[in-house]
Amino acid sequence: MNKRALILAGFGAVIILIYFQLLKSGIIFRPGNEPMFIAVILVSLTILFYTDRAKRGEKIYLRSIAGLQALEEAVGRATEMGKPVLFVPGIMDMDQVETVSGLIILGYVAEMTAQYEAGLNVPVSRSIVMEAARETCKESYLKQGRPDQYFDDMVHYLTDDQFAYAAGVNGIMLREKPAACFYQGKFYAESLILAETGNSIGAIQIAGTGSPSQIPFFVTACDYTLIGEEFFTASAYLSNRPELLGSIKGQDIVKLLVMICMILVFIFTGLHHYGWTNLDILTLFTSR
Amino acid sequence: MMKRQIPLLIVIVVGLITLFGHFFSNQGIQNFVDNDSTQWYDIIASFAIFLGALNLLKLQLMKIYKKQNNWQYSILAVLGFFFALFAGFLYRGAYTVSLSGVAVENHQEVAGIIATGTHNNVALITAGLEGNDDYTIPMVFMTEGGAEALGEDLSSYGATVISPVQWGAHLTVKLGNSGSLFWWIFNYIFTPLSATMFALLAFFVASASYRAFRIRNFEATLLLSAGIILMLGRVPVGQMISPWFVGFIFILAMGAVIAPMVKNKFITVSIVVAGIAILTVWGVLTGWDSTRPAIFYFPVLQEWIFNVPTTAGARAIMIGIGLGIVGTSFRIIIGLERSFLGEK
Amino acid sequence: MKKFIDILIKLGSVDRRYIFVLVGLSVLIPLIWPINIPIRATQQSQNVFNAIEGLAPNSKVLVSFEYGPSTKPEIHPMSLALLRQLFENGLKVYATALWPDGLFMSADAFGTMESEYDLEYGVDYVNLGFRPGNEAVVKGIAADIPTLYTTDTRGIQITAIPMMKGIHDVKDFDFVFSLSAGYPGTKEWVQYACDPHNVPMSTGCTSIQVTEVIPYVEHGQVKGILAGMPGAAEYEKLVNHPGLATGMMAAQSFAHLVIVAFIIFGNITYFVQRKRDQKK
Repeated sequence: MNKRALILAGFGAVIILIYFQLLKSGIIFRPGNEPMFIAVILVSLTILFYTDRAKRGEKIYLRSIAGLQALEEAVGRATEMGKPVLFVPGIMDMDQVETVSGLIILGYVAEMTAQYEAGLNVPVSRSIVMEAARETCKESYLKQGRPDQYFDDMVHYLTDDQFAYAAGVNGIMLREKPAACFYQGKFYAESLILAETGNSIGAIQIAGTGSPSQIPFFVTACDYTLIGEEFFTASAYLSNRPELLGSIKGQDIVKLLVMICMILVFIFTGLHHYGWTNLDILTLFTSR
Repeated sequence: MMKRQIPLLIVIVVGLITLFGHFFSNQGIQNFVDNDSTQWYDIIASFAIFLGALNLLKLQLMKIYKKQNNWQYSILAVLGFFFALFAGFLYRGAYTVSLSGVAVENHQEVAGIIATGTHNNVALITAGLEGNDDYTIPMVFMTEGGAEALGEDLSSYGATVISPVQWGAHLTVKLGNSGSLFWWIFNYIFTPLSATMFALLAFFVASASYRAFRIRNFEATLLLSAGIILMLGRVPVGQMISPWFVGFIFILAMGAVIAPMVKNKFITVSIVVAGIAILTVWGVLTGWDSTRPAIFYFPVLQEWIFNVPTTAGARAIMIGIGLGIVGTSFRIIIGLERSFLGEK
Repeated sequence: MKKFIDILIKLGSVDRRYIFVLVGLSVLIPLIWPINIPIRATQQSQNVFNAIEGLAPNSKVLVSFEYGPSTKPEIHPMSLALLRQLFENGLKVYATALWPDGLFMSADAFGTMESEYDLEYGVDYVNLGFRPGNEAVVKGIAADIPTLYTTDTRGIQITAIPMMKGIHDVKDFDFVFSLSAGYPGTKEWVQYACDPHNVPMSTGCTSIQVTEVIPYVEHGQVKGILAGMPGAAEYEKLVNHPGLATGMMAAQSFAHLVIVAFIIFGNITYFVQRKRDQKK
């Protein structure tokens, strides 16, 4: 078996042993969180293991994600038509991981708009997101050697209110008629309003969100949609950095472990229900 | 160093404390994780609003100054901004009048004066006067002068006290059908505008459904069927649609589906006729029960769709998204993901 | 026949604005000329009603207002129906808001209740108001309410309010009800307060949010769900007090019928067009 896997497994086992030992004393750790602690260690080590493997040269396969492949096509289309690109990084603040993922994609889109000299318009709903987005765009334009094209007001604040923001973005869409619209972040009910308006102006639309209830609206109205985890893999997919690709594989292995746990729980719960075993496996997975 | 390493260090340290702090029994760490860290964030976000607000003002004022396209709308934006600021922070616009010591024989007269001055119901005011020695008039006055005017009219009947509503409470105070200036803005400007934007969804859902719900392949047909069942099953009119009618439509639809696959048309027709006959006999035997067969009754079908496939799908997507969030957060905490700092 | 098919195909690519007009009329006409459509409560709405009915008089119920003006037509009828059931059953109501707009919604709802019931503030209900912090507020309520709320919406000290005596954290409540339109909302209540501390809860939310909340309902962490305006109408029927939602059901029904009709029509023209293209 892989030497590094053994080392990491050993390390994880030692941490868990120390945790349970210290738990007994009740001084450092509080009881009731054992399943959660084991899960955190397991997930962390799995992701670290595959990240390490990728850094050492293992080729990681990532299936093609149409929405991410279409980013360049969309920016190219906007350049050809001489129209700007609109990027909407969601309506929530930087405390949401979806917003961070959205800004990561913004960085790549900004690189492309810098390269192709297309206009970029980023209306935001939160002030902190405005500052973070400006930093991201500035770095992207600098990286492409086009700092002259960047100006602060390409990222501008509209309002915190959900529907006032939707109204503002709709107004921008109808007035400026961007050729490409990107919706990447956390959205709520305003998602369909934005997507339908974008559809009405004939823009190519690429959406990505971690809000399960908004995915159907984006799928219906947009040309490409990044569903669930596809949205979070954007950084790894676009950068092609080995360590990020490795972490995605680690994430997938964790998903496999979750599926195995679900099957085990299903089987053992059934056995417990019919009295064939005393083990109530659900108590092992309950954390307070 | 300032731009990259220090922010990265802050992210890593705070991220690790937040992740593992949950397990420590130390009260200080618990407080930091549960309360302090989020409060720090809220304070930073609250002060950051100045950045956004100033940016908004700057852009709108530049638009007016340079007379760019549609600059007239920017005047509205700027006026609205300052008006809301004025009503929230500078102008209280909320005064109440309370009345005490009114003689019983004057209740009717006093109620009439109050009702005229506040456009309220006389009977309700009379009841209020009779029930309370110290009666607060059910109206919030936006100006002290307005409160004083009514107070003067009532001064001969009892002792009147004009009180300004506390700062802070003035935002939401409501008596009868009136409130402060801020309350007025919220109820008569902000609320209708927000509701209007949300109402747009109804129209956009209609146009999106019309465009997207086409029987292109099996999955699209499934989406279409589930959509129709849910749309009809969720509303009362769905309960009025007889399941027998739906059953007959289903049999005819099945006939249409199998017709291209079966060469002998006689077989297709026989199957359809047999299906109709079976359903008819079933209906006659059960007295055409309006809620059975349940498999064709829209409210039952939509409940099943919600409880079984929707829940399963929602759980699967939630788990996937949850893992995605775990993965991304972990990469951010260990410093692997630095794109949000501008690094690639 | 050919002319008919041509017209059909032409109508298939109708400008969306005609669809908007028809949808608008289908909503407007039943509102102007009301139509009484019988409403049947679903099992989920019934579960919510039963959960509240099962509470003993003087039980303490925490009601959280997490919606704003945009979702007021959907959720406010639920709020009113819920408060009516709570006050009629003699339950004590503690209101809080995780959204700033929720503060106005709660004030509006209690204003309506004051005109219908003989209520004494501080004895029958108290409005603790809004605190910023999203899920941190929920955690604060789960851990230490007096530190989080020192005054209520009227500026009265919490210690001076009779019904706040003995209220320290979420475990001191017998039931929690979340009226939610998004984030923070039902999920945060389940994750940080009610499920960890075994406090029963229920929720009323927008139709869009139901898919996110339904796994918690199915697992029993949330006792029933009022799903959007139909849920509000069903609940109004159960509490025997038809209100706004009941009146709007006819409009919603007709709007749905119009949309379904458009979908069917769209598919007919799609097939006709496809057959014609295949022949060519």
